[in-house]
Amino acid sequence: MQQRFTCQICQNEIVHPGEECPYCKSRSVIAEGASPRILVTVFAVMIGFFALTTMLAGAFERERRERGRQHFESANLLMKEQDFDLAIEHYRDALLYSRTETSYQLGLANALFAAKEFPETEHRLVQLRGVDPTSGIVNYRLAQLAHRNGHIDEAVAYYRTAVYGRWDDSTEATGNGIRVSVRLELVDLLEETGRDRELAVALQELTEIDPSNRDYRHRYAAKLIDIEAPEEASENYSLLLDSDPRDRIALLGRAEAEFRLGNYLTARTHYNRAQALRIDPATSERVALCNRVIELDPTRRGISVAERYRRSRVLVDRTRSVVIGCQNPWGDSFVGPLPPLPPDLRGALDAADAVLRQTRERPSDEKVEANILLAEQVWDKSRPLCEGTGPNDEALGLVLAKLAR
Amino acid sequence: MKPLRDILTKLLAMSRTSPVLDEPQRFLLLSIVIGIFSGLVVVCFHVSIDFLNWITIASLDPPSKWILMLWPAVGGFIAYIVIKYIVPTARGTGVNYTKTAVYASDGYVPFSSVLGKFSTCTLSIGTGNPMGPEDPALQMGAGIASLLGRIFHLTRDHMRLIAPIGAAAGIGAAFNTPITAVLFVMEEVVSAWNAGVLGSIVLASVSAVIVNRWFLGDDPLYRVPGFEFGDYSELIFYAAIGIAGGALSALFTRHAIALRGFFLGFTERRRIWLPAAAGLAVGIVGLYAPETLGAGYGVIDGALHDRFGWEPLLLFGVLKLLTTALCFSCGTPGGLFAPTLFIGAMVGGGLGGLANEIWPLSGSIGPYALVGIGTFFAGVFRAPMTSVFMVFELSASYQIILPVMVANTIATLVSRHLQHESVFQLAGYQDGLDLPSAEEQRETPVMHVEDAMRRGRGLVVPKEMAVREALATVEQNGGQALLVDIRYGRWGWVERRDLERAVEDGDGDKTIHQTLRPRPAIRTHPDVPLDQALRKLAIYPLLPVASRVNPSSMIGTLSLEDVHRAYGISNRTAQRDSPAPSQTATQA
Repeated sequence: MQQRFTCQICQNEIVHPGEECPYCKSRSVIAEGASPRILVTVFAVMIGFFALTTMLAGAFERERRERGRQHFESANLLMKEQDFDLAIEHYRDALLYSRTETSYQLGLANALFAAKEFPETEHRLVQLRGVDPTSGIVNYRLAQLAHRNGHIDEAVAYYRTAVYGRWDDSTEATGNGIRVSVRLELVDLLEETGRDRELAVALQELTEIDPSNRDYRHRYAAKLIDIEAPEEASENYSLLLDSDPRDRIALLGRAEAEFRLGNYLTARTHYNRAQALRIDPATSERVALCNRVIELDPTRRGISVAERYRRSRVLVDRTRSVVIGCQNPWGDSFVGPLPPLPPDLRGALDAADAVLRQTRERPSDEKVEANILLAEQVWDKSRPLCEGTGPNDEALGLVLAKLAR
Repeated sequence: MKPLRDILTKLLAMSRTSPVLDEPQRFLLLSIVIGIFSGLVVVCFHVSIDFLNWITIASLDPPSKWILMLWPAVGGFIAYIVIKYIVPTARGTGVNYTKTAVYASDGYVPFSSVLGKFSTCTLSIGTGNPMGPEDPALQMGAGIASLLGRIFHLTRDHMRLIAPIGAAAGIGAAFNTPITAVLFVMEEVVSAWNAGVLGSIVLASVSAVIVNRWFLGDDPLYRVPGFEFGDYSELIFYAAIGIAGGALSALFTRHAIALRGFFLGFTERRRIWLPAAAGLAVGIVGLYAPETLGAGYGVIDGALHDRFGWEPLLLFGVLKLLTTALCFSCGTPGGLFAPTLFIGAMVGGGLGGLANEIWPLSGSIGPYALVGIGTFFAGVFRAPMTSVFMVFELSASYQIILPVMVANTIATLVSRHLQHESVFQLAGYQDGLDLPSAEEQRETPVMHVEDAMRRGRGLVVPKEMAVREALATVEQNGGQALLVDIRYGRWGWVERRDLERAVEDGDGDKTIHQTLRPRPAIRTHPDVPLDQALRKLAIYPLLPVASRVNPSSMIGTLSLEDVHRAYGISNRTAQRDSPAPSQTATQA
């Protein structure tokens, strides 16, 4: 860079500078710009200063980190001793030295959570999540906070992110262990809030992670029954019984699943096995009900046509009795005209009466089918009439439901 | 060494052969160099303050609390002694010092002030006095810029601009916010929106921030939690924070300045002990509320994260306000930037917390603290633009802008209503300085052509008009010149004395066009500032004022007499100063 000389008064450029401006004779001639020597000197000073600052900043950084680390370690010790308030102070001090250190921030968030300082915990965690949205522990803590604040949707979302998130400082085994415990908390939350379908999915995932864990499978199978998935429930209970045939809960669960599937024989078998292990009145009632259904069921395999015909007539008869009971729930004590029946129901009842009057008929499959159809018609048409009233013939209802299926 | 020497030789050779950079280019290049140097100095400053702080009040093996209590007094005392006996140039506020350099001393800032500010503010802030490093950093940047300007032999015009460039670099590096630095310097130091210097200020600020982040990392001073602005009724509370911030800032300014004036009346011998006394008071307060010691960035961070309830926040805010006012008035070295942020955050957070107790809204104190930062800052420094952008730059949240704008505008208005001048202006008066302020310039109305022009076509005549008749028109309208309509939106002008001469020569009955040949007139428009029009009036005696949408249509005329009238200079004065028509004719 060449040096220029300019007159400050007349602004003329001067090639050969002297004391005076050759144009206006003023003494305001100044050197403009810097000589190369000055430039080099300035840059050399800059480099030197840069080096000095690097050294100073390096020492500062080391000291800062060391101080932060000391406070962090003290805080961790205090956390173990459950002195949360003092731990928080130390975490804060650590963060003063290294504001971006995630482990310090997380430590502080954990300590704040433990000390029940929830608003600040949330702020800290949200900030950490901004830095690392996939952090398992951050999402887990946020899920706990959201759960606490009653934000269930948010909590479920955080739990799910935590399950699939990244967990630092963990081996594969411990990482899986942590994930499972997070899943279990999610399961508890779903159970507590009655989200059965999501719960079943969460439980299924748990059984897939650890197929040998009987507790998960028990819970999963039970939930499957709750959400009306008896087939899957039965499969899961079967798996449980394969490994332990004397698991009474699994026996009862399997029996219940089979019962709901309409397999009353299998259900009765499992109820009986459970009863053999320990008798309880509820199971006895269940066995009795199975017996009643089995005895009433005209479609049961291995019975003669005559027996099927007989059962189909019983079916028609009991259906008719239920309808009459619905029409007059007060029984013989009622005096006065009964409410009129709908014409179609009246017609079906008349047909039923006609079937029951024919006592010398020859049994045949066609007649069995016709009787079953008639019983179903009477049953279906009586539903509006019998809703909430009338006698409760549970076995009849179950048989007809099975036949309808 | 040989390769290095070769490189240097080549560089020198290149510099001799390469084309010479012109002044603006050199100025821009120098801005970057200033930014780098300022950044380096501020990094060292920051490191020195923290090191001293770790040795004294934040030691890992803390001594007894009585020794801790004495540190601010010791630091303040030594710093004051250094200023008094070794570097008196480090006295006063950095903003005023830099403004003085811009407006009074052709950009000259002695380098000793850089060394002085560095050492004394390190001593003062590092030992826990409640002052901030930003204002000293601003002055250090200005000092470095001035030194480099002198080394590079800049012209006087550029030397005047160099100090704000350094100031922006200094404050940008200290606060780690380049936009805020630029705006603060434009609003507070340059006191005007000067496009010529803006580019250089931006370059210097950005370079300094890059250097700062290179060494100290790119963490912001505070980590601002995510902010969501849901309910517009919350604006009422933000407005209330604005009122409180404005009122408190006026109170702070008035009392700090009054106290400063009182202490300035002490003898020199007694004044030496003032920073020590203020430091002792700070130490005693610090025993019970250590949060009030030092710049307090960590505490602001805590307030933004709901660490404190509203009661401690208000307590910290009030205590810091008292200790800062005391230290500022006693002459403890350090800036007001950080304390104002602290007080604003505490008061804003405290009021927000209180409002949440009464009428639960967002449930978090953080946003109120963030808005509070801006209100107190806007009130004390009267830099509303800077305050809005500062909060925006700190929070990186678009949603915060609305409450911040509402609160800061209210705070500025309330503060101005209660206390007309800013703290720097008042401190400047006490130090014998009368420096311009952006506020003053904002309040000065700019006159436009439409405020002075003579409406209508009274001084316009057709070119076919007889000279005698035209002279009568001029005399009737009391003008010194006349516009001649030449057609197609073009006008010419003739002076009254030309008309008089033509009449005297016996050409009074001829047309103007034949006799005088009017010279082309240059038009102006109603929205043009009078300053610009005056430059034209130096050449043309009368300007046609044309419409912007139809430039060929004249809506009035403008003469020097009209301008005088608009500025309130009496016609008599104007006539006295301007030569009489007969004199003009004689001279001609």
